[in-house]
Amino acid sequence: MATTTNYSWTTPDDTALVKDGASAIRSLGTAIDTTTKNLNPSTTLGDIEYRSSTANTNTRLGIGTAGQVLTVSSGVPAWTTISSGGMTLLATTTLSGSSTDITSISGSYKQLFLLLTDVYGSGTNDFRFRFNSDTSTSNYYYNVVFQENATYNNQRSSSAGYLQGGNVTTSSTQINKLNGSILLPNYTSTGSKYVKYDTMSITSGGTNYQVMGTGLYIGGSAISSITILNSAGTFSGGTVYTYGVN
Amino acid sequence: MTKSSRPIITIHNIETDEIISREMNDAEFAQYEADQTKDLEAQAEAEVKKAQRQALLDKLGITADEAKLLLG
Repeated sequence: MATTTNYSWTTPDDTALVKDGASAIRSLGTAIDTTTKNLNPSTTLGDIEYRSSTANTNTRLGIGTAGQVLTVSSGVPAWTTISSGGMTLLATTTLSGSSTDITSISGSYKQLFLLLTDVYGSGTNDFRFRFNSDTSTSNYYYNVVFQENATYNNQRSSSAGYLQGGNVTTSSTQINKLNGSILLPNYTSTGSKYVKYDTMSITSGGTNYQVMGTGLYIGGSAISSITILNSAGTFSGGTVYTYGVN
Repeated sequence: MTKSSRPIITIHNIETDEIISREMNDAEFAQYEADQTKDLEAQAEAEVKKAQRQALLDKLGITADEAKLLLG
């Protein structure tokens, strides 16, 4: 009896005298149906299949749950829940006024990460930030390496009442806006909170400002609010993305 | 400065996603003015230092770049 090339379905030989055509067709149909089901064992919305160790027989993998990612386990695909290292976007905040407070920050993450994008203002002023509306001059310490074009400077303060790091420029042209980030690795500590930050901006006159800063905030509470300050004037635009990191 | 001309601050409560903009209250405005005063003092101090540095360079008859070479 002849068989097909790929799936070995049985078909009548060219020389065979087919006396029971209905039975032959039914046998072929059944074989095709079985093979198709073996190749496509899905039963439910979102199912996917992968090749099993048996030829022409795939294995069904049911859909995972929200937030799971597809990984490999024991040599086959598997949905896995990310247990650490994930970032959760907590808020998207548009900067305006002379300062913008981001309040009621959840304390249920290990770290906080703030991404600063396209910040500009009404004047060329200093970019600053405070925590928990705390203006105490003895609670903030910072040290920044400050580069203005090719010239390096450094700046430190232990009595400012805020952390400082960057230059808010006036131009709304894309290249002139301030971009940067703030990382708070232990923001829920009731002891010293370490702060790492960096910003980059270019004035409309072409002056490049780059700041790499480290700071300490020693207020006795976990950080639950952050105030983004423009030292003088107001913010004309800019977005802060606040992420909780596990 | 009258109350009506006080700077505006924005507050974004990210738990409720409520955003409000309002004038600074008395305490916030006092802090704002203290920060401005401190900035002006720091700026004036920097200007004095810059002038003193330039006066010294003039006295020595060298440029700022030449002074850097000497100290490098």
